[in-house]
Amino acid sequence: HPWETVTTAAMQKYPNPMNPSVVGVDVLDRHIDASGKLHSHRLLSTEWGIPSIVKSLIGTCRTKTYVQEHSVVDPVKKTMELKSSNISFTNLVSVDERLVYKPHPHEPGKTILTQEAIISVKGVSLSSYLEGLMANTISSNANKGREALEWVINRLNAEIEEFTASARGTMRNSMAAAAFVEK
Amino acid sequence: MNSVGEACTELKREYDQCFNRWFAEKFLKGESAGDPCGQLFKRYQICVQKAIKEKDIPIEGLEFMGPSKGKTENSS
Repeated sequence: HPWETVTTAAMQKYPNPMNPSVVGVDVLDRHIDASGKLHSHRLLSTEWGIPSIVKSLIGTCRTKTYVQEHSVVDPVKKTMELKSSNISFTNLVSVDERLVYKPHPHEPGKTILTQEAIISVKGVSLSSYLEGLMANTISSNANKGREALEWVINRLNAEIEEFTASARGTMRNSMAAAAFVEK
Repeated sequence: MNSVGEACTELKREYDQCFNRWFAEKFLKGESAGDPCGQLFKRYQICVQKAIKEKDIPIEGLEFMGPSKGKTENSS
């Protein structure tokens, strides 16, 4: 898909069925900088399907985890960069992700995504196991991310078609009404 | 998609609709001058900042960015 389509979809990525744990998205700040790039700071709230007995013990407010995301869109150079990091459990683990969307250098109409994640676990004993586990999750999430955007793009296209169809229908109706009046 | 503050979800939806339209139809086409969503954003922001404080979400310094940048208050 072309870069503009992917970028528009990425701004509206949630909700989507591939990321059911993301339950809230908020924009904390948005501004255009001196060079014309759009910066957005967003807060993502996630809920991990903790069994309700645990929720009733620790309280529902504490079952949400939060991620902060900073994105920069350069409409001239056609790049979108997203950096996100967890703000919950930072005393245990930090997961920093960076995604960059650019037009494909050789295939027009396509977009190329580069994605990297840095995971650090504080504390020693479980670190290599946990890091391995998270690395696997993150690489399968990368595929999920692509599927999620595909889903959003299809949804946006369907909305446009629906809008066009109903606009056509409305026009036909008003033309028919006008014809009736003229008689 | 909901907001972190349940009361803010409707304000968020209105702002999102405005922003998504502006983003795809203006910003990406190079016409970034004029942001039609400023008012909606301000109202939505006030609600969100309050919800974040109430829920004690550990956001460092992010709420101080944006329109209040460059304003310094001197109190003695």
